[in-house]
Amino acid sequence: MSAEPPPVSAPAAAPGPWRGVLTRFRRHRLAAAALVALVLVGSFAFVGPLLWRYGHDEITPDNSQPPSAAHPLGTDSLGHDLLAQVMRGTQQSLLIALTVAFGAAVVGTVIGIVAGYYRGRTDALLMRLVDLFLTVPTIAVAAVLGHNFAGSGGGWVLIAAVLAALMWTSVARVVRGVVLGLREREFISAARALGSSDLRIMLRHILPNVAAPIIVSVTILVATAILAETALSFIGFGVQPPDTSLGLLVANAQSAVATRPWLFYFPGLVILLIALSINFIGDGLRDALDPTQTKGPRRRRYLARPAERTDAVPDDVLLSVRDLRVVFAADSGDVSAVRHLDLELRRGEVVGLVGESGSGKSVSAAALMGLLPPTATVSGSIHFAGQELVGLAEPHFRRLRGSRIAMVFQDPMSSLSPVHTIGDQVAEAVRVHQGCSRAAARARAVELLDTVGIPDARNRLGDYPHQFSGGMRQRVVIAMAIANDPDLIIADEPTTALDVTVQAQVLAALRAVRERTGAAILMITHDLGIVAEIADRVAVMYAGRLVEVGTAADVFDNPSMPYTQGLLDSVPRLDRPADEELWAIPGSPPSMTALPAGCAFAPRCGIRTPDCSAAVPDLVPVTAGHLAACLRLTPLGDARPETATTSSIPERP
Amino acid sequence: MEIVGFALRRLLVAIPVLFVSTFLIFLAVAKSGDPLAELRERQPPVPPHTIAAEEARLGLDQPVLQRYWDWLTGVVQGDLGPSVDRNADIGMEIGSRLGITMRFVLIAMLIAAVLAILVGVVSAVRQYSWLDYLFTSTGFLFLAMPSFWLAVLLKQGGIELNTLAGSTLIYTVGDSSVIPPPTLGGRIADLAGHLVLPTITLVLINFAAWSRFQRSSMLDVLGSDYVKLATAKGLRRRTVLRKYALRTALTPLVTVIALDFTAVFAGAVVTETVFQWRGMGDYLLESINGRDVNAVMAWLLVAAVAVVLFNLLADILYAALDPRIRRVR
Ligand SMILES: Nc1ncnc2c1ncn2[C@@H]1O[C@H](COP(=O)(O)OP(=O)(O)O)[C@@H](O)[C@H]1O
Ligand code: SF4
Ligand SMILES: [Mg+2]
Repeated sequence: MSAEPPPVSAPAAAPGPWRGVLTRFRRHRLAAAALVALVLVGSFAFVGPLLWRYGHDEITPDNSQPPSAAHPLGTDSLGHDLLAQVMRGTQQSLLIALTVAFGAAVVGTVIGIVAGYYRGRTDALLMRLVDLFLTVPTIAVAAVLGHNFAGSGGGWVLIAAVLAALMWTSVARVVRGVVLGLREREFISAARALGSSDLRIMLRHILPNVAAPIIVSVTILVATAILAETALSFIGFGVQPPDTSLGLLVANAQSAVATRPWLFYFPGLVILLIALSINFIGDGLRDALDPTQTKGPRRRRYLARPAERTDAVPDDVLLSVRDLRVVFAADSGDVSAVRHLDLELRRGEVVGLVGESGSGKSVSAAALMGLLPPTATVSGSIHFAGQELVGLAEPHFRRLRGSRIAMVFQDPMSSLSPVHTIGDQVAEAVRVHQGCSRAAARARAVELLDTVGIPDARNRLGDYPHQFSGGMRQRVVIAMAIANDPDLIIADEPTTALDVTVQAQVLAALRAVRERTGAAILMITHDLGIVAEIADRVAVMYAGRLVEVGTAADVFDNPSMPYTQGLLDSVPRLDRPADEELWAIPGSPPSMTALPAGCAFAPRCGIRTPDCSAAVPDLVPVTAGHLAACLRLTPLGDARPETATTSSIPERP
Repeated sequence: MEIVGFALRRLLVAIPVLFVSTFLIFLAVAKSGDPLAELRERQPPVPPHTIAAEEARLGLDQPVLQRYWDWLTGVVQGDLGPSVDRNADIGMEIGSRLGITMRFVLIAMLIAAVLAILVGVVSAVRQYSWLDYLFTSTGFLFLAMPSFWLAVLLKQGGIELNTLAGSTLIYTVGDSSVIPPPTLGGRIADLAGHLVLPTITLVLINFAAWSRFQRSSMLDVLGSDYVKLATAKGLRRRTVLRKYALRTALTPLVTVIALDFTAVFAGAVVTETVFQWRGMGDYLLESINGRDVNAVMAWLLVAAVAVVLFNLLADILYAALDPRIRRVR
């Protein structure tokens, strides 16, 4: 639908994921400990032999000795010192595993990048190759080849080569997946448009971006490789005597578990320790390389504290939110997603809640529905139809959900269960709250689907969501929302994911629903066009706070807070793509973990004064029923701030 | 019916793959050494014409390409070729050993899958609870556990238990007693008794990865919009979990388990050597050591067919579980 290509800046690679990796890795305590353990095992294997008085292949005169000061682990029947043997075994196993991982990384990366970059026939061919390697039972082939090489005395390098040849597929698959996704990104298309050669694009632009997933999957591969090698040596097709590996040591100790248990336990535990450490390190790396991933809290802290309400809520007010706050506990500190929300909805009223993404609209909606994750702490007051919802026990909340308050989510493609029929899902919405018969529920489902304009509803009950278009699915969701004649429908960006033409139809369905059921609607959106079309009143959120509220006419004709003014200046016009994000306000919303002091909008505000950063401005009346939170409240026209700038699209070189 | 067509197509695609892999393996085993080495060096020496006859019987006097062609044409007609061991018929041998191995592989896969689902789902639903931490750390432990070491450990545990009790409480060697019990019930009990330790081994080394996978797929689904919407409808959490979350979260595991069949089989090879079962694993090692090309090829063929069948089963199950697949193609 986009009328213009996205602005193209210099074809730089995406910002590297490397910043802060070390810090984040160190914060992963288990992974850091695992790294220390691995270094210790490594020095035992590689430095130990240099310091120890016996060589692993040295035959001492003391055969079959129990542990002693001279031989801490004893000796075998040939007189080998077993400590020296364990050190050598660990060394060989580590050497093989690391070589396997390295070889598999190289082969897997090359094949994965080529497959993902060229796609089409090349991809199909290479993936068939991957299939081939997956059909073959690795251990059998490794045993066959290991047996071949055992005679030739090739030692660890050959075993490593065999295993690497069998194990590169996992890396190739991961890399291919990432590259397939990357190829669609602008910086790749830009590089291609600039005439860079394929090889150069792959090396300069793609490789750095797949480095993170490669590192993680190769790390894990080291553990897989060490388990494979030791198993192979255990069954006699890996490292051959007189050399040794941890697997071979365990095999030799099998018969003596009862008499000399340390010979069995020690090498086994070393394998376990190595594999365990590597897995933890891999885990730590995954988290460190992917900063967007939030790890869960150590403690649950679902607390809800309803505020004392002294004010009486008038009868015609359906929903009255006072000083709502939502704080998430996260690894990187608390996130105050909603910091102060005051909102009122009268029965049957449509209120538009607008604000840039990240301003806390969805979190507020989740608080109203009681759908916040356990990491959230809610405080303040939500008064709904005579009940306080903050702190309401789940069984009571459940009875409200879907019956008194219903919700429509943003993405209709994902908000219906893919494995249940439409009829089942709609009828279920009816049955949850109205213990009626299956047949009655189905009849009602047909009626509901008719209401939202699904043609031939009766015959489509047995269809699955994937057989419906996006707009149709959203209507199905709306049908579910009105199944029990709710008092309030919360629609969280119900049209954002849809095409412009379909948006209008879905809006029409919502309007029809409102006429028919008289439900109040909280319409969350960042599209002011939609608000203008449907809302009676408008509430504007910025960085978790309500910054302006009033009737649609008040807010549209007399926007009083600079942020609202900026929003209005950036209303999508017919000559601009409708799905475009708000781009006219310079800068971007503040991070919710590091909010500026005072007015959160100050860094982007064209008319800020030093006072603005001193205290958070309160909502104050502009006219009756029209409130705004700005220290420099000025009527429209006077000091219209220059918040709007025209974005300039750089010329292509 | 559409599923069957889909499955058949998958089978056709697999044929060239099998063709290439069998050729490479054939080459590798054929080049791995002389299967008659032992015969040639026997004391007193074996008459040359006996050796020549053996060479002819095994086709060793032919160039390797010819041997592969003979093997291939034979296999297509159901003839797996002669074994180095004159008295053994490869087909019969594989048949009996496959029965022994599949017995514990299938049981172990089933138990491991059920366990993985339970553990994965509970971990996800009770994310960050002590139970989740417990399951997660056990999972990590078994992921890093060398299968053979675990097998020897369990075997030793069994032996010590028996010594302690003064009688055989638990079988630690073989797939059945040398002298089978006279009654049918006794025989079944005997087989089951021998199954215990190897099955536990195989379950433990496989369920860990699967439970991790199940946990993350369940977490994905729990965070999905349709689970949120189901909750927003006012359904009980139990209903949401059972009807909406579990159902979709199980589908990916089906594929993973089927694709992991080779890994389970590899684990079975190791487990069998420890518990001295006369199953497929034992046969593979024996055949490789004896440089018995035809036996190794038959083994791989069976394994590859099993893999293909498992993939097929995964596709069918997937289609049955996910209506989106059902209608495609
Ligand atoms: N479960 C969560 N844990 C931590 N932070 C969250 C969580 N959900 C949302 N947030 C944060 O809350 C802020 C508001 O998000 P949201 O309400 O989704 O914004 P929007 O206005 O676009 O709907 C964002 O900064 C987001 O990162
Ligand atoms: S308070 Fe100051 S910084 Fe904030 S919007 Fe008003 S003028 Fe701008
Ligand atoms: Mg949102």
